[in-house]
Amino acid sequence: MRIAAGLARVVLFAGLSLLFVATAARAEFKPISPFAATEVAPGPPSAFAPPTAAPFQAPGPFGRVFAWVFDKQQSLQRTLAMSVKSLKTDPLGGALTLALLSFIYSVLHAVGPGHGKTIISSYVIANEETVRRGVIISFIAAGLQALSAVLLVGVLLIALGATGLQVNAWSNQLESISYAMIALVGLYLLAGQLRSVWRRWQHAPVTVVAARDAHGLGDHHHHHTHHDHHHHHSREGHEHHEIHGRHDHHHHSPGDACDHMVDARQLAGPFSWRKVIPVVFSVGIRPCTGAILVLVFALTQGLFWAGVAATFAMALGTAITVAALATLALGSRELALKLGGTNSTWTNMVWSTCAIGGATIILLFGVLMFTASLGPARPF
Amino acid sequence: MTIRHALWGLAPLLELLVAPSPATAHPHVWATVRSDILLDTNHQITGIRHAWTFDEFYTAMAIEGLDTNKDGIYSKEELQPLAKVNVESLKDFDYFTFVYSEDEGDKMLPLKPPIDYWIDYDKSVLTLHFTLPLEKPVDPHGKPVQVDVYDPSFFVAFSFATEKPVTLAGADTKGCAAEIILPDPNTTADYKALTESFFSQLGPNSNFGSQFAQTATIKCKDSHL
Repeated sequence: MRIAAGLARVVLFAGLSLLFVATAARAEFKPISPFAATEVAPGPPSAFAPPTAAPFQAPGPFGRVFAWVFDKQQSLQRTLAMSVKSLKTDPLGGALTLALLSFIYSVLHAVGPGHGKTIISSYVIANEETVRRGVIISFIAAGLQALSAVLLVGVLLIALGATGLQVNAWSNQLESISYAMIALVGLYLLAGQLRSVWRRWQHAPVTVVAARDAHGLGDHHHHHTHHDHHHHHSREGHEHHEIHGRHDHHHHSPGDACDHMVDARQLAGPFSWRKVIPVVFSVGIRPCTGAILVLVFALTQGLFWAGVAATFAMALGTAITVAALATLALGSRELALKLGGTNSTWTNMVWSTCAIGGATIILLFGVLMFTASLGPARPF
Repeated sequence: MTIRHALWGLAPLLELLVAPSPATAHPHVWATVRSDILLDTNHQITGIRHAWTFDEFYTAMAIEGLDTNKDGIYSKEELQPLAKVNVESLKDFDYFTFVYSEDEGDKMLPLKPPIDYWIDYDKSVLTLHFTLPLEKPVDPHGKPVQVDVYDPSFFVAFSFATEKPVTLAGADTKGCAAEIILPDPNTTADYKALTESFFSQLGPNSNFGSQFAQTATIKCKDSHL
C-alpha cells in the first residue's frame, strides 16, 4: 500500500505540473487563429470557411460531465493539430508542446474506456501480482501499442505507399486480432483457475503439496495483508486453528499450517513471464486510433518524427494512467482482504472472487469486443 | 475500518465491471453538421441534404494517398472514390440519420440510399455532401418531424454548426420552420434513459452516443393541402 500511495502521489504531481506547463504553452498559442497555418500556405483563393461546431450538450448531470470532457478533448485535439503545424516555424517549442499535449490527451483518453485498462487491471487482480509488476505490465503494453501504431503507419504509408483508408482497414484487422487474443487469454486464465478450484475441493491433499512448492519459490512478500510481517508465523498458526476447526476432514499435520493461506492464493498463481507475455501482447498489438491519427497528420505535414514523438508521449501517459488504475484495483483487493481480518474463509472467498471474476471479465470483454469488431466497416 | 470504507475501496473493482461498456464510447472523429431539409411544393419532406465537415486529423487520414496525379490538389474527382466508400458503408449505420414523426407512429422512417454525393477538400478539412431521400415523403403539418443526427457508438462525434445548422430548401418553404432542440442539462427526467444507455453500453450495440444526438424538428403551419 505504501508503494501505491507513493505512486499515486507521483502521478498526481506529474499530472498537475504538466497541466500547469500545458496551460502556459497553450497561452502562447492564443494569438494564432485556428486556421492561420493554412492561410499562410499557398493555394487557390477560396471563400470557404470551415463551419464551427456548436458545443456539446446532453441531458442530465452525467451528460453535462461527458459533454464537458468531450469538448475538452476536441479543443485539445485542435491544439494538437496546431502544434504540429507550428513545428515548421518553431521546431523546439512546437515539439515540446506537441509532446506535452499528447501526454495530457492520452491521460484523459486512458481514464476513459479501452486502452487495455480493463484487461490489465483485471489481469493483475486475477493473478498474484504486486504493484511493481502491475506497473511493468502497463508500461510494456502501452509501449507495444505505440510501436504497433508507428510500424503500421511507417510500413504502410512510407514504405508501401498505401492510402489512409488501407491503414484504417489494417488497424481494424489488428483490433479484431487483439480482441480475439484477449478472449483466448481470458479463457485460458479462467480454465486454469476453475481447474484449481475443482482440484482444491476434490483432491485437497494434492493441492496442498502444489501450494507448498509455490510457497517455497519465495512468494512471502505477497502477504495477504501488508501489516505485521514480523508476526507472520504466529498469525498463520492462529489461522490454522480456525481452519482446522472447520475443515477437519482435510487430515493433515499441524506442520502444514502455512499452506492453507497459500492455498487460496495459489489459485491466482505466481508471476511468470510466460503468463504475462500473452497478456501484454494481446493488448499491445492493437494500435491506438488516436496515435494513428496524429501520426498520419504529422506525416502529411512532412513531420513524421514529430508524430512518432507524440505517439510515445501518448504511450507514456497511457502507461501511467493504466498503471495507476491497476494499482487502485490491487489496493481494492488488499482492502477487501484486510476487511476479513484473520478469517480464512473470507480470504479464500476474496481470492477466488478476484481470480475467477478477473478472468471472466477479460474473457467477456474479449468476446464482446471481438464480436463488435466483426460488424460492418465504419464509414469514417 | 468500516463497511463504508471498504465499499469505497471496492469502487475501482466495481468500475472494472462496467469498464468494458463504453469501449468505443469516446470520439475519434469530429463532424460538424449542416443539413438542408428538402421540401416539395406541397410542403412534404422528401429528404435531407447533409454537409458534414470533418476534423483535420480524420481529413489527413482519409485523403492520404488519394492525390493520384500528384499535383498537390485533392480534386473532387480524386476524392470521389472516398465519397463512394463513405456513403456505401453509411448504409450499415442508418446514415447516422434518424427521422421520426409522431404521426407515423414514432417509428424510424426508412431512408433510401444516398444520391448525389461528393467530397470537397478545402482549408485542410474535407466535407462530405450527400442527399438522403425518404422512402416516402413525410408531412410536417400535424406533429413536427424530428431529425436526429448521431453515432450510437459515439466513435464519430456529430455537432451542428453554429451558423445555419439546419435550413429548409425547396421551391416554397413559407410557413415552415426548422428548430434545433437542445437537451436540457438541468433535467432529471433522464434517469430511465441513463440507466438504459448504461446497460445498453455493455453490448456491441452500444447506444451511448444517443445522449449527444443532434436534434432538429421541422414544422409547417399553413394548410397547404
